[in-house]
Amino acid sequence: MANKLINAICPFCGVGCGIALSVDEKGKLIGVEPQPSHPISQGKLCDKGWSTAYAITDKNRLTQPLKRINHQFFPISWQEALVSIAEELTQIIEYSGANSVGVISSARATNEDNYAAQKFARAVLKTNNIDHCARICHSPTVAGLKQSLGSGAMTNSAKDIFDTDLIMVFGADPTENHSILGGHIMQAHLNGCKLIVIDPRKIRLAKLAPLHLQLKLGSNIALINAMLHVIIKEKWYDKDFIDQRCEGFEHLAKHVENITPISVEAITGLKATDIYQAAKQYSQAKRAMIFYGMGITQYMSGTNNVISLANLALICGHIGKPGTGVNPLRGQNNVQGACDMGCLPNVYPGYQNVDDEKAHEKFSNAWHTELAKAPGLTSLGMTKGALSGEFRALILFGEDPVVTDPDQNHVKSSLKNLDLLVVAELTLTETAKLADFVLPAASFAEKEGTFTNCERRVQKLNQVIAPVGQAKGDWQWLQALAKQMGSEQLNWSNSQDVFNEMTSLTPPYQAMNYQKLEDNYGLQWPCTDDSPKGTAILHSTSFPIGKARLIAVNHSDIDEMPDENFPLQLTTNRLHFHYGCGSMTRNSPLLEREIPPGILFINPIDANKLNISHQDAVSVKSRRGYLETRAIVTNDVPVGLVSMPYHFKEAPSNQLTNTAQDPITKMPELKACAVMVAALAKGQIPKTIEQLQQEPKHENLFT
Amino acid sequence: MKIYLLDDLQHLQAHLAQDYQFHQVVTNNNGQYHWQQLASDETQPLVHDKPQSSAKGFFFAEQESLLVFNGEYFQETLPTPKPFVLFGVQSCDLTAIHYQDKFFKDDRYYQARRQQCLLVGLDCINPCEHGFCPTVNAGPGVREEHADIVLHPLGHKWLVIEQTSKAAEALQALALIETHWHYLTQRDLTLHQCEQKFPDDKYITDGIKKLNSGTITDEFWQTLAIQCRGCSGCTTLCPTCSCYGTRAIKQDNNAFSQQRFWDSCLYEGFQREASFNNPSAEAGTRVERFWQHKFADEFFTEFSRHSCVGCGRCEQTCPGVIGVHSVMKRITKEGGQENGPEVTHA
Repeated sequence: MANKLINAICPFCGVGCGIALSVDEKGKLIGVEPQPSHPISQGKLCDKGWSTAYAITDKNRLTQPLKRINHQFFPISWQEALVSIAEELTQIIEYSGANSVGVISSARATNEDNYAAQKFARAVLKTNNIDHCARICHSPTVAGLKQSLGSGAMTNSAKDIFDTDLIMVFGADPTENHSILGGHIMQAHLNGCKLIVIDPRKIRLAKLAPLHLQLKLGSNIALINAMLHVIIKEKWYDKDFIDQRCEGFEHLAKHVENITPISVEAITGLKATDIYQAAKQYSQAKRAMIFYGMGITQYMSGTNNVISLANLALICGHIGKPGTGVNPLRGQNNVQGACDMGCLPNVYPGYQNVDDEKAHEKFSNAWHTELAKAPGLTSLGMTKGALSGEFRALILFGEDPVVTDPDQNHVKSSLKNLDLLVVAELTLTETAKLADFVLPAASFAEKEGTFTNCERRVQKLNQVIAPVGQAKGDWQWLQALAKQMGSEQLNWSNSQDVFNEMTSLTPPYQAMNYQKLEDNYGLQWPCTDDSPKGTAILHSTSFPIGKARLIAVNHSDIDEMPDENFPLQLTTNRLHFHYGCGSMTRNSPLLEREIPPGILFINPIDANKLNISHQDAVSVKSRRGYLETRAIVTNDVPVGLVSMPYHFKEAPSNQLTNTAQDPITKMPELKACAVMVAALAKGQIPKTIEQLQQEPKHENLFT
Repeated sequence: MKIYLLDDLQHLQAHLAQDYQFHQVVTNNNGQYHWQQLASDETQPLVHDKPQSSAKGFFFAEQESLLVFNGEYFQETLPTPKPFVLFGVQSCDLTAIHYQDKFFKDDRYYQARRQQCLLVGLDCINPCEHGFCPTVNAGPGVREEHADIVLHPLGHKWLVIEQTSKAAEALQALALIETHWHYLTQRDLTLHQCEQKFPDDKYITDGIKKLNSGTITDEFWQTLAIQCRGCSGCTTLCPTCSCYGTRAIKQDNNAFSQQRFWDSCLYEGFQREASFNNPSAEAGTRVERFWQHKFADEFFTEFSRHSCVGCGRCEQTCPGVIGVHSVMKRITKEGGQENGPEVTHA
């Protein structure tokens, strides 16, 4: 039994639940409990949270730096690793310039780690080539909400779920991906709050909601425009709010004048009466909240989808008040923080543009060094550059793009083409296997710092146990590497120093410090001298851009429609048992047992046509790749649509997904592509992607 | 049985801490109550609040090695704990330990720890949040046979009830002075008053009846189970849940260790066979099975009680809003209405 119980923040999704880790007398992590008084999780955890102890006490944890020679890894000392990496980086920068190197940081690491990573890129390497996985989850949120509202974050707070009359869940599966918030939504609904679900799949909440709009993939804008049409035609909009707080209403009204519910029936696959009902209920509710997720963002039209949702909330005046708002559900524990910290190629910490003269001067002065002016490469830009040879060295931590990024084969060959790949990780992930140097990283329980959850709450994380082996926190090894390269830029003595430097340069975090975070279960930004206790609801009196902008946008088709050769549509989803690439959750014997390594959800009618039974082995093929997995036959997906989770390296959906991108944010269209599904011989066990790639007959598919 | 009156509880704590590893419920800086080992020279005031995790992990470890195989032969890895005391276990959790003592009667790992333990029980004189121990005969007073020693608060003093020979041995050197039996009457009165303070929970007794009437429909369980995500929170915190799984963990040079770990019957994989056949493939079946195990009369016969001890921890921790109170209210309101008149006391 526990000798000590130490509070921490759950390392999984963006909800930011309070957990307490129990440690035995030998300092070994043995279990986890919820924090009963935590403002968000209130004594509850999801299955991922409960399995935290398994997640990081894996016997496969990396304990010392490794160097790859040909196809084998050899342990080396930190000193040797740092000297070699520093030398190679310096040489590459000398020959090919600072833009040939870059950093991909991690939405799972702390704010301190992320601040250090972007400072390392900008002030040590002298490049804005810094990015992280928000590119493939919520970059359209940042871009879209910034245009419409002036700020790209959740406008309201988790507690508002219990303080609203209607919740509209749009392209999100909160009970699976943000389980605790999903539970709050269930509870609110049981208590009488109306619930509308808009999703192509029959998600868990859809089974509880009286109104489920099961729209076709990628028809979000058509649906929202039709809802806007109804609300404007029936005069259900909030005229006072529009007059005082918005601009562009006349233009928007004109734009949707002819987009009637009937006119979008074919595109959306919905009944006009259901669209009318949703428009009526949402606009007529006294207070109404929108929650949305990847079903909005992971499209070529991602940014416009977000803008549409903002239009809907704005014309109804459902923003800036308790129980309202446009609320993106952020995927990772610190994806909000990694964005806030400026781990993006175009902004410094606090979303200060790198091409803004004033911001450039501010950071050059603060860091006493001349910084690059041009925005840097996105993560997909870096992989593209690696393929063409212009981009040569990448430092990456806490991410596994080989499993999680679109078109796996493309990612793999580009990473292999790098002259130097350094990966810091807990275990030897698929990406780490390609690295020249692998560095052992400390897990969240082994370091101090802060995480920012999806409701902008910055929470303090305590060190619970000592790092395993020679593992180091990310900012610490970045500091050591900077020193090795002759730079004093990262010379902080502890994580509080990092935090304090960051707050001095990041206006929304200005009035925060560790003690205040400890005392208040975290603080929500903006937390400034004017709002020292933080801000639960954004935009209550004005928008950062003055008036909010209503921007007319058009429906556009998805890039790859089904055809004769690839007759089914594939979308991706997540399972509540697993998280990201599975490198943590799959260490739990319980969670690992729940799901065979990879599954495909398919409707019984499609399954029947293809002679596929429940749990049968099947093959899935797209224009980009081929994999084998098991079928789960279920009415949760409609006819014509199949769905795969992306957690499993054995059957990675990203073998199949499309790289077509949102022109504004380069967000790939992960939510829709065309595939062909076929049954494998009865009794055959699905081959893993690794086995398949070793078979000569498939070789042409993987080169 | 002997009864003593004690002015200063620290006296007893310090005494026991010398002979036993001493564990007690303490609070951390966030007001979270949990069991913690205290050093022999450290005493902390006894808290009356329910720890979030019960004491079951002291005997049935959350993760433990059962045996190792070195490539040639198997070796059992039985734990060898020093004598330890759990100081201030509440009646619900003691009832659960008593229940698990029966369940794990022949489990050498459980018993190796259990035999080393001196249980000091604590009477509750106020109801706790979500608790309903009187309804399921598990409190608020410590039941006979459930603890070696019982502590009962008497204002500024303590009544100490020595119930077993193990307790007599532990207290011997302390030379406590026996007191009058009328304090036991006072204890009964206080406990009775405490029982009166619990909120009305007729829906629980009605729910138990209905659960055993065979009238609850499959549809009811299926609808309820939409809210269950198999998080394992209820089974982890439930003091009587005892499901476990095992796995072999490979060590270096062909050796392996067999590990057992807490499992949950609410996982789809819990009953799934290698052929993918699964007697409880539907979430509804699993949720029904869980509540049957807590309240069905067939288990009552085997253990002379229901396995639910009324601590209410599942209500607090279930993210799907289907803890015991929520479920029992819905059973009485909705479950199987077509087979009889609706019971509406909830």
